[in-house]
Amino acid sequence: MSLLERFIQPGESQLPTVSHMGEIPSGQPTTTIWIDGKEVTAIPGEAILRAAQRAGFEVPTLCDDEKLAPAAACRMCLVEIEGYHRPMPSCHLPVEPGMKITQASESLFKLRKQNLEYILSDHNAYCMPPCQVSCPTHIDIPGYLELMSKGQHVEAARLVKEVLPFPYMLGLVCPKPCQEVCRRGLVEEEIAICQCHGFTGELVMEMEQAPTPFPQLPATGRKVAVVGAGPAGMTAAYYTALKGHAVTVFDMMQKQGGIARYGIPEYRLPKVKLDKELNSVWQLRDTEFRGNQMLGRDFSLDDLFTQGYDAVFLGLGAWRSNELRVPGEDLPGVIEAINYLRMNSEGNPVPVGKGQKVVVIGGGFTTFDCARTSRRLGADVTVVYRRSRKEMGAHYSEVDDAEHEGIRLEFFAAPVRFVEKNGRVGGVEFQRMALGEPDASGRRRPVPVEGSNFVIECDTAIPAIGQVPNLDFFEREQGVRKTKRETVITNGALMTDRPGVFAGGDVQMGARTVIECVAQGKLAAKAIDRYLAGDDMARVAEEIAEEEAVPDLIDIVPYKPEEPQVRMPMLPFKERELSFQLIENGYDKNAAEKEAARCLQCVCPDVGRCHLQRLSLEHGLTDNRFHRAEPVDYHDYEYDFSHDFILRDLNKCINCTQCVRICRDVIGANCYGLMGVGYDSIVTTPWNVSLKYTDCVSCGACAETCPTGALMMRERDLQTYELDIVRCIYCGDCVEVCPHGALGETPNFEMSTYGRFGRTVLAKEELAVARTWKPSEDIPLDGHNSPRPPEIRPPGPPRWGA
Amino acid sequence: MPASTAPRLLETEAGGAVAAARDLAVDALLELIEKSGLRGRGGAGYPLVDKIRAVRRNADGGPIYLVANAYDADPGSPLSRTLLTRNAGNVIAGIAIAAQAVGATEAYLYLHPDAVEARAAAEEALANELGVQIEIALGPGGFMGGEETALLAVLESRRAMARQRPPYPASQGLRMRPTLVASAETLAWLPLIVVEQARASTKLVSVTGAVVRPGVYEVTLGSQLGEILTEAGGASGKLKGLHVGGPTGGILASSRTDTRFDFDDLRVAGTHMGSAQVRAIAAGTCIVNEAATLFAYLAKESCAICVPCRVGTKRVQAILESTYSGLGRDTDLAWLDELGTHMERFSLCGFGITAPSILRTTMREFPDDYRIHIQEKRCPEGVCKPIRSRRYETMVQP
Ligand SMILES: Cc1cc2nc3c(=O)[nH]c(=O)nc-3n(C[C@H](O)[C@H](O)[C@H](O)COP(=O)(O)OP(=O)(O)OC[C@H]3O[C@@H](n4cnc5c(N)ncnc54)[C@H](O)[C@@H]3O)c2cc1C
Ligand code: SF4
Ligand code: SF4
Ligand code: SF4
Ligand code: SF4
Ligand code: FES
Repeated sequence: MSLLERFIQPGESQLPTVSHMGEIPSGQPTTTIWIDGKEVTAIPGEAILRAAQRAGFEVPTLCDDEKLAPAAACRMCLVEIEGYHRPMPSCHLPVEPGMKITQASESLFKLRKQNLEYILSDHNAYCMPPCQVSCPTHIDIPGYLELMSKGQHVEAARLVKEVLPFPYMLGLVCPKPCQEVCRRGLVEEEIAICQCHGFTGELVMEMEQAPTPFPQLPATGRKVAVVGAGPAGMTAAYYTALKGHAVTVFDMMQKQGGIARYGIPEYRLPKVKLDKELNSVWQLRDTEFRGNQMLGRDFSLDDLFTQGYDAVFLGLGAWRSNELRVPGEDLPGVIEAINYLRMNSEGNPVPVGKGQKVVVIGGGFTTFDCARTSRRLGADVTVVYRRSRKEMGAHYSEVDDAEHEGIRLEFFAAPVRFVEKNGRVGGVEFQRMALGEPDASGRRRPVPVEGSNFVIECDTAIPAIGQVPNLDFFEREQGVRKTKRETVITNGALMTDRPGVFAGGDVQMGARTVIECVAQGKLAAKAIDRYLAGDDMARVAEEIAEEEAVPDLIDIVPYKPEEPQVRMPMLPFKERELSFQLIENGYDKNAAEKEAARCLQCVCPDVGRCHLQRLSLEHGLTDNRFHRAEPVDYHDYEYDFSHDFILRDLNKCINCTQCVRICRDVIGANCYGLMGVGYDSIVTTPWNVSLKYTDCVSCGACAETCPTGALMMRERDLQTYELDIVRCIYCGDCVEVCPHGALGETPNFEMSTYGRFGRTVLAKEELAVARTWKPSEDIPLDGHNSPRPPEIRPPGPPRWGA
Repeated sequence: MPASTAPRLLETEAGGAVAAARDLAVDALLELIEKSGLRGRGGAGYPLVDKIRAVRRNADGGPIYLVANAYDADPGSPLSRTLLTRNAGNVIAGIAIAAQAVGATEAYLYLHPDAVEARAAAEEALANELGVQIEIALGPGGFMGGEETALLAVLESRRAMARQRPPYPASQGLRMRPTLVASAETLAWLPLIVVEQARASTKLVSVTGAVVRPGVYEVTLGSQLGEILTEAGGASGKLKGLHVGGPTGGILASSRTDTRFDFDDLRVAGTHMGSAQVRAIAAGTCIVNEAATLFAYLAKESCAICVPCRVGTKRVQAILESTYSGLGRDTDLAWLDELGTHMERFSLCGFGITAPSILRTTMREFPDDYRIHIQEKRCPEGVCKPIRSRRYETMVQP
């Protein structure tokens, strides 16, 4: 028998299923069975599963399709039946009168969970990128990495700028929450996500006109005031301007940037480049910066509204250092952290110099910036923190670097007083701390050790234990309230109690990170836009909460041949002495592209519709015990994206054989089979050829029945047709007259706003934008990088973004 | 009691049996078969007469098929091949008699593609006029090709893939028609039963491994394993274990020579008749390694239709391999047990359902082999070479 003959299979000989979802036809003889103790009317001979489903039981299935003969392959629908030795597949076993069935029990749950764990241990794909979930702005990380790996850096930058306007800045200062959860870390090392967008940011900075995610919309005639030119304010300004509103940014300082300019030192973030990147805001129409303008001193909120601003965003940051509240804090030589950094960045003289002894107290960003700045000024520096290294707020790489630069670290010590010497500070007295008993939350708090006091001598002491906003000028009559922690109170849409006044960033959250502030700036811009459109802000708040909800993730075992992270070239420690030169030397193009190509692309178009994902969530598959073994334990298949309509990703195939059966028994094209033997078997075409070389008739039936994302319809844009959605009344006449049935009104295809092939039909005005949009690079357009018109998203799986 | 009675199946030609059976009324024939106590030799031990009756009950005037399984899936147990080369006449006559008993119109003798000699012998025997059409069909090779429902798939020109039962072949077998599937060895008893009213008291067994004269023997059902070894000339040296039942069978300690070679007794001992292979495992063999090798074989041979078997065998293989590569952990034993239970409860066919007996028996009979590998990180016999540098891990999840 030839291979081909073996492939051509006659219909599977199986029990006939008398299956009816919905009502049992009248006159049909029925019988009674019991499922989980409940009496159920069933048709003798139909699959138990059908009767169970009709009675409202949700039996898990992964290989069942009512149209098809059952295969009993996935083993998810197994139920216990009285009189049977072992669980039986309910999709396959016919109903017999009086059967007593258990479809949900603890033991079945466990066995099904084990089954899912197996499936997910050989499922080389992922639903939603955890990196994107944990990035506060939710950058489409796999998206831009894919573009980068193809050398399309400007497109990549545009994609990043959909949610983060300043990728260069963040590339240098972000604590990288995304990288902590990167799934490549399960293989060997996480992707250098942060440095990758830093590279694109730097690249597009050199362009005359910075690329924008979408063209600035036509002027709306509305005016928005942004107070505070820090990351939050600048982000809010950027997206507000893109939406077509006029924006004026006020700041009490002379220049833009907030903490990024006046706090973060030059060796971490060069100010010339910072300005270049921030200037992309001023390249937008109707934007303006006014420095040396302080809210509360030079103007009030009321003034802004009188001047015709329709909305105000407050991004005032948190610039007041927390006090230690220990004796001697007001001695000369005990200096204020932010002030110190600011003076230094402005090039003003500071009270720290060569050979002096400096003690910095704390463990956050500010602590290390003060310490490393002092070190660069030639001082002998000790950092003292009251907990251990891993509790430090600063990124671990910063702590390590500080140590290598010659800074001493002292853990588990809390200051008790500043010691006076000749009228100024001469040292700091500390008390040792030890970890106490775990408290209610299970955390072990540091407790002082009696009689363990010691003094560290110094010429200058810098307490850097956090900042709070300075809202002294904030009077109640401005209609904005603040918390006890001196932060501004807003609702979920970031609007304060005063309509039209929004707040975000450190001033709303308390001192946090740049990226979280950018995220709030982005959300605020969205909220302001909606406010200006007259939308119900409570509804907007709900929408934001929905969008920001953290999705549940399951644990799937990734597999790729190992390939370590491309290291960021760093300035040698020797050259850092007495120098404020930037310490990260940056990727070159090759390095960036190589690193970006390591991304596992943890995105699946089937997310939210996938039955495997749903069942895995329902069964709590949050850890898989089959990670990290040898290559022979996993599969890494090539995709087949060569067919015009159907995308095949064998990595996601679970061998359920639904496509085999539907293509053979319903469609008759017989394109697929279970190939190979043993663990390496996979459902694919004969000899694994491209689907386009089979008898495929492009019906899409396989993609429809596939329980996972292994078979998907390719997204198609109906860009040849202009449809004025406002005027369409869905009469269906066009469907009727089409001589080719291209708009066929069959159950398989309906002309609707949400077409069968995925994409929304573009409304007229959207289409206009899409048409005028020119890709910024000479890139071949395929489905992956078509021009990106604004805000046209098919409904469906959750998306994050502006 | 001696291990073997005089070899009957392998030697005794029951001439004229087909004609004699034809003279019997079907009921009388069935009664004879019932009296003989003949149970299916293919492994499960289901009484043949019950199978025949089931097929007859499903008769509706349409075609009924018969398949004689002479495939010998287990390469270490060439029972049907031996039987055919030595006594093809009885097999073919048996097929003819069974065909008469179930009312089959077409019968197939299903062979392994490599069984060239057996096939020639069968063809010669087929030259006789038997009153039923018997066709020789070749399987695809590989372990799974011998599974009852997989072989039906092969006969339907499909991939050798198991099918969920029920429905059993007796009601929906080949081409959805009632079908009797029985092993060649079972059917070979029928001429003896018809001509001599024989009791089906012996069983072919393949004795392999560390014995003086490995080979296929005919022994009395219920003989002790020790007697079977003696039949094969005794052990060729000190033994460590007795692997009974073929690739999915369990391994018993070599001291268990008093275990009876019978369907039910073997099941009680934690293994099964399976392919009726008794493999003597020499002293100095590491049982963890043996178990790993068996699972590696199974992971390659699984038909892959069901998840517990396709993925489960591979995962168990890897855990066993990492155990003997010095990467084992104390918790692995409970884990293997859990995976074994899942495989046994959730697999689609006998392949996956029986495979955990390897785990169950080796962990019970050779706990030290596991313990020494896991705790002392060395091979109890000093033979294992690490083949893995990484094991399965639970990773801290993002
Ligand atoms: C020293 C230091 C180092 C840091 N390092 C990092 C890091 O490496 N990575 C990281 O992610 N985060 C870091 N952070 C935290 C991060 O800088 C802040 O979370 C972020 O900058 C806050 O952004 P923002 O826009 O809310 O406020 P800011 O950046 O503080 O900007 C506020 C702006 O408002 C202006 N302003 C304030 N009050 C008024 C007023 N009344 N009228 C007019 N203008 C006003 C200020 O001049 C300023 O320009 C660091 C913080 C500090 C202090
Ligand atoms: S196929 Fe399903 S489970 Fe697999 S990655 Fe896609 S959504 Fe997740
Ligand atoms: S591999 Fe890529 S998509 Fe996946 S988590 Fe890492 S960066 Fe994100
Ligand atoms: S789209 Fe092609 S492969 Fe899929 S079911 Fe239809 S004919 Fe078969
Ligand atoms: S590709 Fe086919 S066999 Fe694989 S999961 Fe999808 S429907 Fe099932
Ligand atoms: S085994 Fe029944 S749905 Fe898969």
